[in-house]
Amino acid sequence: MKKSSSSAARGLHIIIVGCGKVGVTLVEQLSKEGHDITIIDKSHKTIQAITNIYDVMGVVGNGASYSILMEAGIEYADLLISVTESDELNLLCCTVAKRVGECAAIARVRTPDYSVETNYLREKLGLVMIINPELEAANEAARILCLPTVLEVNPFAHGQAELIKFKLEEGNPLTDKSIASIGKTYAKDILICAIERLGQIYIPSGNFELKAGDYISFVASRSDARAFLKNLGLATHHVKNTMIIGGGKAAFYLAKQLLGIGIDVKIIEADKERCEALSILLPKAIIINGDGTDADLLKEEGIETVESFVPLTGIDEENVMLTLHAKQVSKAKVITKINRINFREVLNNLDLGSVIYPKYITSEAIIAYVRAKRASLGSNVETLYHLFDSRVEAIEFKVASGSPVTNTPIMELNLKNNLLIAFINRNGKIIIPSGNDKIMANDTVMIVTTHTGFNDIKDILK
Amino acid sequence: MNKSVIRFLMGKVLKTEAVLMLLPCLVALIYRETEGFYYLFTLALCWLLGFLLCLKRPKSSVFYLKEGCITTALSWIFLSLFGALPFFLSREIPSYLDALFETVSGFTTTGASILTDVESLSRCSLFWRSFTHWIGGMGVLVFIMAIIPLSGGSSINLMKAESPGPSVGKFAPKLKSTARILYGIYFALTVLQIILLLIGNMPVFDSVCTAFGTAGTGGFGIKNSSIAGYSPYLQWVITIFMILFGVNFNAYYLIVYRKFRKAFAMEEVRWYFIIIISSIGIIFLNILGTYAHIADALRDSAFQVASIITTTGFSTVDFNLWNSTAKTVLVLLMFIGACAGSTGGGIKVARFVVVIKTIKRELNSYIHPNSVKKIQVEGKAVDRETIKAINVYFITFIVLFTLSVFLVSFEGKDLTTNFTAVAATINNIGPGLELAGPASNFSLFSPLSKIVFIIDMLAGRLELFPLLILFHPANIKEFFTRRR
Repeated sequence: MKKSSSSAARGLHIIIVGCGKVGVTLVEQLSKEGHDITIIDKSHKTIQAITNIYDVMGVVGNGASYSILMEAGIEYADLLISVTESDELNLLCCTVAKRVGECAAIARVRTPDYSVETNYLREKLGLVMIINPELEAANEAARILCLPTVLEVNPFAHGQAELIKFKLEEGNPLTDKSIASIGKTYAKDILICAIERLGQIYIPSGNFELKAGDYISFVASRSDARAFLKNLGLATHHVKNTMIIGGGKAAFYLAKQLLGIGIDVKIIEADKERCEALSILLPKAIIINGDGTDADLLKEEGIETVESFVPLTGIDEENVMLTLHAKQVSKAKVITKINRINFREVLNNLDLGSVIYPKYITSEAIIAYVRAKRASLGSNVETLYHLFDSRVEAIEFKVASGSPVTNTPIMELNLKNNLLIAFINRNGKIIIPSGNDKIMANDTVMIVTTHTGFNDIKDILK
Repeated sequence: MNKSVIRFLMGKVLKTEAVLMLLPCLVALIYRETEGFYYLFTLALCWLLGFLLCLKRPKSSVFYLKEGCITTALSWIFLSLFGALPFFLSREIPSYLDALFETVSGFTTTGASILTDVESLSRCSLFWRSFTHWIGGMGVLVFIMAIIPLSGGSSINLMKAESPGPSVGKFAPKLKSTARILYGIYFALTVLQIILLLIGNMPVFDSVCTAFGTAGTGGFGIKNSSIAGYSPYLQWVITIFMILFGVNFNAYYLIVYRKFRKAFAMEEVRWYFIIIISSIGIIFLNILGTYAHIADALRDSAFQVASIITTTGFSTVDFNLWNSTAKTVLVLLMFIGACAGSTGGGIKVARFVVVIKTIKRELNSYIHPNSVKKIQVEGKAVDRETIKAINVYFITFIVLFTLSVFLVSFEGKDLTTNFTAVAATINNIGPGLELAGPASNFSLFSPLSKIVFIIDMLAGRLELFPLLILFHPANIKEFFTRRR
């Protein structure tokens, strides 16, 4: 069982410590990609339940202990991911693992106390990544609140390009037009890369006709995207104020960001002590001590006039109920955070608008890293997003010199079906490619596809 | 119930059987025996049926413990039904029931035979008989898992249903690698034994068949006198390998990866060796008086103890003629069986270790009614569910055993014969005592009793529950109702 040579082809040996929400999501996604996974958890029951469903090995015990890590095969492991409840335990697990084995380590650290020191911690402890789902969720919510007419905003190429999803409402100038016909007018500098219609996903070609009710994902540079939305008559300015229900970590991160760009924030939190703590941390925000699920209180605090409403309580069902309530009584932009519940079809039918899944944000970041680690030297995965309930993957690859896709016009490449080259980032310039463009070495290229498990840019070829 | 996945896996099992039948065909080719054509015919039939069953891929590959149990039980039944065909078609065993008995006995690694003259069989049939032991020892579904990727993690439910022992441990994160490691160890040990037998001047055909019989802890001999005709060296080699194949394979895995201390600390394996050594001691002292040479007495007692505790069932001597203490020890060993995670049958040492600890705890709780004590094996707490499962296993075993003895008793044979015959089949050993003893065989029994024995052998090999679940009324009902 030699590790380095065979691991690229056979999948990595990955140890996951802690099997909570994020842990299980990682097990699910990574085992689907064919890696050898060992899980460590303190609870016998949890281990039993997971090993019954997924093809993984389970070890019961404390992941920071040397003997347990040895039992889980840390000597042969390529990567250890620690996602237990406790930040400190996660850091300890990674530190011990790094001393025992030669593996890379990823820790989840989410307490705000450490969040400003993330980079310092990462470097000093030699970790490859520190993930903070609450912070990521807050970032995503903040991006949406800056562009409240759309459903999702995912940044690529270090924020220069964005992948934006919006719903085509009745009366929009794009309805009943084919993609080819709008290419010259509205959609000059953007690329529509995926469309969801009645639960079906389409990677559209030129003669695809848009209909009202479609969910459209397009990619463009930041400024072009805004111009495009403006042309369609959609507002592109950020909201002026927001109401957040629940004062947890995600609420803190979100409020801090929004206050930074001048958005008024009101937080409703039931726990008095937490309120006091928040008022010290966020002096500019209005902190209300009260039950956020109380309709009268919400009315009193102005839910009917607020421009945006973000339920961030720890209970998913409450968040969903609050969203539905807000949709009924106000015109506010609503973002729903879902932590745990798995009934995505049901949620989709509820038409909640923007929904954020912190556990998927985290697992996407880790899977992008794992894919990059697994890939040969030819190229690397930079960013990965799952769109439309993981049915579409948007992947950003770094292209190395000598890759088979370089120096050939795109239309001459023998590409797989259901795949789109969304943009090429050449030295910071975003190119929306036509058939005559070529991919060059050192470009980063974004691929949108319904295939799963691309590790390398050459996977796009047949 | 996901019937389509069960059908699909059945197809795979039949196709695998077809591939495995290539080997007896090859043997027939080497020895130029016409019986090979019957194997070729069965092979084609299995392949065709397997191909038809696999034609349509199942929509969903999800299956749970229930499906795992049903698939396992059904595939063993299918394997036996088709595996028996060549014996029957070639008229080497004229009755299909007898052929089925012989094949089930082979696949379940029992080694009980209805043949009065083994040596009259063709070479390819002798080979197939022994080869069924080798396949059955580790399990055909484990074999399929090692070569064919079964999508979805829930295939652990197949391994759970097929592997002997109260709990299944994985060596590697992936089931496929675990199955490969298991078969790797199995194969390597078998080859090693063949080489050692060849060194002892055993003919090639004999050593291959004997090694298969030992590896699967089966016990079909290719001679009427079983192993008695071979030299002392060969008998010792077989003794040692029988014991080795009765060891929990986790120990070999640990040894391969140089974790010696952990391997030797395995509680079950230690008890296994303690039981073997003390049994040999008792029997040796008991039979010493009837032997001229000490070496012979030691060899015979060691051979018989190894043969019975690992549930192999080879014999070098008619132990039916021994005195009653020696015989009683052997009967007790029948029930103990080999280690969990080995190829052997019986109730398994691991279960006895836990049961004895449970008894100790219960007794203590009379003295200290409020005391709390978790049962530990190898320093790890055994959870309540496992203990419950083991206790239920014991009770079920006793119920099934008693029922079988009762059904067989209608034949009017003596109690020892009936009792040991059932013990020998349900524990997958082979020979019992008296009329079912090593010098005799099962052809004396009536068709009804043979059916009882067939069910016992299958139930014993699959650790009772998969077979019982297959015949659970709820499942039968679901099986015959169409879902719209």
